[in-house]
Amino acid sequence: MAESCIQVKDLTKTYADLTAVNNISFDVRTGEILGILGPNGSGKTTTLKSILGLIEFDKGTVQVNGLSIKKERSRILTDVGAVLEGARNIYWHLTPMENLTYFAGIRGMPKKNIAERAEYLLESLELTDVASKEIRQFSAGMKQKCALACAFIHDPSILLLDEPTLGLDVEITRTIMDWLLDVVEKEGKTILITSHNMDFVEATCKRILIIRKGEIISHETVRSLKEKFARKHFVVDLTTEPPETLLESISTLGSVSAHGNSLKIELDAVEHLIPLMKAVERAEVDMTDFRSVENDLEDIFLEVIREEEK
Amino acid sequence: MKTLNLFGAEGRMMYWSLRRYMFNTVAMVVVMFLIFMGMFWGVKTIGGSGVTGDSLDSMLVGYILWVSAMLALSNTGTEILNESQKGTLEQLYLSPLGAHRIFFFRALVNIIFNFVFITAMLYLSMAATGRWMTINLPYLYGMVFISTLSLVGISFMMGGLGLIHKKIGSLNGILSFGLIGLMLLPTYPVTPYAFLPFIAGAAAVRNSIVHGASFPLWWYAFIAVNSIFYMAMGLLIFKKMETKARRLNKMSQY
Repeated sequence: MAESCIQVKDLTKTYADLTAVNNISFDVRTGEILGILGPNGSGKTTTLKSILGLIEFDKGTVQVNGLSIKKERSRILTDVGAVLEGARNIYWHLTPMENLTYFAGIRGMPKKNIAERAEYLLESLELTDVASKEIRQFSAGMKQKCALACAFIHDPSILLLDEPTLGLDVEITRTIMDWLLDVVEKEGKTILITSHNMDFVEATCKRILIIRKGEIISHETVRSLKEKFARKHFVVDLTTEPPETLLESISTLGSVSAHGNSLKIELDAVEHLIPLMKAVERAEVDMTDFRSVENDLEDIFLEVIREEEK
Repeated sequence: MKTLNLFGAEGRMMYWSLRRYMFNTVAMVVVMFLIFMGMFWGVKTIGGSGVTGDSLDSMLVGYILWVSAMLALSNTGTEILNESQKGTLEQLYLSPLGAHRIFFFRALVNIIFNFVFITAMLYLSMAATGRWMTINLPYLYGMVFISTLSLVGISFMMGGLGLIHKKIGSLNGILSFGLIGLMLLPTYPVTPYAFLPFIAGAAAVRNSIVHGASFPLWWYAFIAVNSIFYMAMGLLIFKKMETKARRLNKMSQY
């Protein structure tokens, strides 16, 4: 097992009467992408900013590369980059190249070493053609790619990303996802991500931490989570919206939800399959498709949260 | 070396910003040129042929002191507010060199740029009016630089307050006006006013350049120590406020 490059132990942060993070402990192993999931206000950003030393936590310890964030923050920051949520992170009145040069400079990099690294990042993030254009003209996705490049300019081994795909379209999300997987695989980087995008997290992270109300409620690999919550749903597509009579008659067979012309059913027992088909037949609606679907990460996430609430 | 690279980064940032906002840069040049021309022609027109070079020297020295003081005083507070609004403040706090160094070098770049800009405008105005001055610019700038460091320290204190309270424009205004009044107070030989920031240095510059007064070396040492004291206090308070902002999670909020 790879050693940990980030170790969080008993981290607690309280604001007045609100406990944002309550006694959480976890580690991030070198060369992995760890995802932190959680509803809004669950403490994801507070955790991430505590690791970066942007928030002064009340109790616990945070160590990065074996160094304490409270005592050796400057040394830690030489090997860490971050893109934060709700902030621009970069200067919109400058070009990508100017931003990269500036952020390299304020991290103490000599100008002669910047160009090569900047060109590599611009190329790998498909920004070379716009390297000399003002960022304010860019789309949200391109701006985010510029922010990623700037966070990476000093070639840190650890990258912390707070909601990196928030508000981005599928194509850009895919580009960023591929890029992150690439830097982990080829350069052995370590990435800690907070996100609401389940597909993104599922595709990039091996391990996931689920936080709710400042506490860790699940800390497992995606695979073990899926095994643990492996449930099959059945999806029935109809030609019209399911009538109330049908919904009523199948409500005893398991957990049922209607989405437009589709029914999503988690049966309590396999034996309920035949009564389900008969109920659809009785309702006199035409069925266009019937398929079984495995629980995806979103279902698992909701289930974990629901279980915790019980 | 890393600090030098940071200084270079701030210098480049200033150049890019001046170039990007070209209209504003040109307007700044025109306004400054008109102010200098106004001073040159105004002294001649009001004073007539009997006016001495002292009047113009006094006005120019006063103006340079005032511009430099205002710039130094508002620098860090304004920069923190701007960075906060732009959403880039936290990224500066991720620099291993520390945000305080970034803001210090930014202030330094601003002061140096101000000197270069004023010199250019001064010579342009002298060439345009044909009236050449004999102000000892290296002495003037050297003294203004040392004295304004104390105001950079005050600016750091304001910047620290800005991290917590965000809008500090009113306080900035009060301090600026207060400073104008304080600059008229006597400081030499040592009066209590001499212990205030900037005042002693400004008086020394005015008296030596305009009235030809000379001061002992210990007086210059006193001015330097005064500046170092306020700079150190400014950094100390800034760091304290920074810690408080981190504790309250105010770094990202505007």
